Amino acid sequence: MPRMILACTVNDEPVEALIQPYQTLLDVLRDTIGLTGTKEGCGTGDCGACTVHLDGQPVCSCLVLAMQARGRAVRTIEGLAEGDALHPLQDAFVRFGAAQCGFCIPGVLMSAAALLAENPSPTEEEIRYGIAGNLCRCTGYTKMVDAISEVAGAAGGKA
Amino acid sequence: MAILTTREVKGVGFTIPRPDGADKVTGHTRYVADLNPPGLLHAKLLRSPHAHARIVRIDTSLAKALPGVRAVLTAADIPELHPNAKTRAHAIMAIDRVVFAGQPVAAVAADELAIAQEALDLIGVEYELLPVAVDALQSMQPGAPPVADAGTEADTSEALAHSGVAATESQDDSKAVNVAQQTRLSRGDVAAGFAESDVVIEHTYRIPMVHQGYIETHSVLAEWDSAGGLTIWTSTQGSFNTRSEVADVLGLPETRIKVVPMECGGGFGAKIRALCEPIAALLARATRRPVRYVMTRREELAAGMPAPRVVMRVKSGVKRDGTLMAIEAETILDSGAFAGAVLTLNGIFLASLYRWPSFEVRGVEVLTHKPSIAAYRAPTAPHTVFAIDSQMDRLARALGLDPAEYRLRHLIDEGDPMANGQPWQKNGARACLERMIEHPLWTGRAEWAASGGRDGRGLRGTGLAVGGWIPGIQPCSATIKLNPDGTLNVVTGQVDIAGTNVGLAQIAATAYGVDFEQVSIVTADTDSAPLAGLSAGSKVTYTMGAAVMAAARDAREQTFKIAADDLEAAPEDLEIVDGRVVVRGVPERSLSLADIGKKTNAFMSNVPPVLGVGSLGFSQQAPAFAAQLARIEVDPDTGLVVLHDFVAVQDVGKAINPLGIEGQMQGGAVQSLGIALTEELQFDDDGRLMNPSLLDYRKLTAADVPDIETIMVEVPAPAGPFGARGVGEPPIVPAPAAVANAIEDATGVRITELPLTPERVALALLARPSEDGLSA
Repeated sequence: MPRMILACTVNDEPVEALIQPYQTLLDVLRDTIGLTGTKEGCGTGDCGACTVHLDGQPVCSCLVLAMQARGRAVRTIEGLAEGDALHPLQDAFVRFGAAQCGFCIPGVLMSAAALLAENPSPTEEEIRYGIAGNLCRCTGYTKMVDAISEVAGAAGGKA
Repeated sequence: MAILTTREVKGVGFTIPRPDGADKVTGHTRYVADLNPPGLLHAKLLRSPHAHARIVRIDTSLAKALPGVRAVLTAADIPELHPNAKTRAHAIMAIDRVVFAGQPVAAVAADELAIAQEALDLIGVEYELLPVAVDALQSMQPGAPPVADAGTEADTSEALAHSGVAATESQDDSKAVNVAQQTRLSRGDVAAGFAESDVVIEHTYRIPMVHQGYIETHSVLAEWDSAGGLTIWTSTQGSFNTRSEVADVLGLPETRIKVVPMECGGGFGAKIRALCEPIAALLARATRRPVRYVMTRREELAAGMPAPRVVMRVKSGVKRDGTLMAIEAETILDSGAFAGAVLTLNGIFLASLYRWPSFEVRGVEVLTHKPSIAAYRAPTAPHTVFAIDSQMDRLARALGLDPAEYRLRHLIDEGDPMANGQPWQKNGARACLERMIEHPLWTGRAEWAASGGRDGRGLRGTGLAVGGWIPGIQPCSATIKLNPDGTLNVVTGQVDIAGTNVGLAQIAATAYGVDFEQVSIVTADTDSAPLAGLSAGSKVTYTMGAAVMAAARDAREQTFKIAADDLEAAPEDLEIVDGRVVVRGVPERSLSLADIGKKTNAFMSNVPPVLGVGSLGFSQQAPAFAAQLARIEVDPDTGLVVLHDFVAVQDVGKAINPLGIEGQMQGGAVQSLGIALTEELQFDDDGRLMNPSLLDYRKLTAADVPDIETIMVEVPAPAGPFGARGVGEPPIVPAPAAVANAIEDATGVRITELPLTPERVALALLARPSEDGLSA
């Protein structure tokens, strides 16, 4: 198949990549662009490990053809921190011990960041549903929910 | 083991976030699939769609001709393959017969993954279908279709990895078809015990195969150097074990193999044994290129190494006053296509978690045409405790006794005999249960039950269970060096799968006498690290922690010896305060650790570097227990069980890093709840997995579970570093029993088969006799 040129922004940087039309956004991010922070856990949209933002919306990048990102803004876990400072969610995840093996964490953080962008003061139930598309096998979710709650509380007044 | 520290350093007992946390939350942590060396090839395996079939022929010519394909291997290309493979790893590829659906029959390495995938479609395999044995009860009957080739021996190394409790008796002479191992534990006169019992209860408990569920699938990268050395980057729970197994499979000396343990994206027992390493190595050898193989999720579920299916028939008899009389049990453990299950601990927990005066428990490991099993976090203990704890709960209810008090009355204590005759070591089983029954959710259970069932609300109940594990032991060693800037480096070969490295650094800090920030720890590869055991069996802190502690004490002594000369004082008069070696009581006579470190590294210096070594073997295991409580609500129409609250109490011996332990307790509890509520690998009559995706193999999400409350009790382990016990495995044990007990509390219905799905619960409620005595 003839290759195609994908032009989009990834973490605010313009990117041009020569890709196969059948490649997923996940594969292009990892293999072509070299951003391996985004993980593949299932390849079928069931585990959420590959969650990135496409124009601010959380998507499973394993279910998005890379060409669907043409002209759009992609944000990955590598683009969540602001400069050298960790994003408040990242900082809270570290302090709360919310990352164990860490494989699901990039996806969880991208889902949590999208949740807070849309709903800065979520209830615990809303937080739990907000990351329900992200499977974690190590933590039992408690520390993740606590970490997100703290950030939401600091940002939006919800304890 | 008293340790002389001269002041409280920031070490053992402090809640300290993992130092690798920042890398994990920014995506910088590298896993195998993130490695992308120049010339990398991608591997795919062609797997059998049939559970039992003869391979008539394989035609790879079209696949080999596809541009971008660099190698296609079948059994015929692999001289290392032997019939009667002793482990799954040795059975790299099916030779002439496949014994489970998903078994590899050919392997491809190609420039791109998509090319490798396309090549699989071009490989022609002709199969002659053979009759299958999918169910263990059927498979153990005479005349059942054979799974193993004649001469395949049971492999018990998995059992040894988890526990040093020796099997007491085996009856190899009476093997039936597809029976890989049999065990029997007995004491006293069971028949007389039942004859004298007033109440006898018998149930059969069934737990399906479940998958360990790590989010990172099995992944490996292999590359050979020009001198014939093999390097393997892999997601493993034990780099030295991987090296040994691969060496054995490929017939190589261990020193020709270097295993680099990458960050492990979850293992839970399934990444102890080698699985994909040999085929990646063979493809790399055939192509002279680095080859990476990453299993798909579908492959993981259909052809990984799940936990066994277990069926247990348990009969127990007691006196009217509750006195235990006799227990008799039979366990059938379905190991899939290769043997290697832990059976002994099943018998020990069935027969001797409570003080049964007479017992007879038999265990059978059966092979079937399904994927072979591996360990899953306290292998078969959740299953076993589901049976014995359900049984105790039923007995208490039948006698009208308080279920928690009833357990406490009969629970073992230190010194009571285990079923294999050895004494129970000091443990916190009783302490966990005693702590749990003080909890408001337990003392308030009647109010909770009374609040349900009216106004259209569900039926409410509370259940608890107690269970645990007897963690393993394994020799191990560690080194610790003093740097020229006064900091310390710990080097081990211990893979950190659970946040253990931060705990090891805390142990080093306290044992040496500096703050945790002064200690860094590295997991080195098999060429560089001193020998270490598996990161399994809840034993990393217990064993490697002790080795690190010994190394730190050794380094402290060496440090004092160097300082003593300079300070003109006896080493025993020295202490470490704020990074300085000080003469006790004479604070102005001191030397900084950095000064000492520099002396040991200076050109023309004659002071030897500080290199502490800890190298230990172990003989004493430390049982580790947990109690868990579930407060639930059952929807009487749909059968849906909603978890309202969940409490985990655990004896941790000594909490080295409470933050990490909480994470273990919470994560283990939710895995345990998954076994209880939703998880099941479902096979059809032909042995094919019917739910090979995470949509259909349902793991619990954040929305399915409440906060997991954690409570630690500390009953020090006599031989543990600072009294620490293993903490990884106990949390996965009690929940299935606790939830089943809660369901009976809520509905009066006892369910003995997992998972407790809405369908199963609703059907059980329908079968419940109504108040007029008629079935609904």
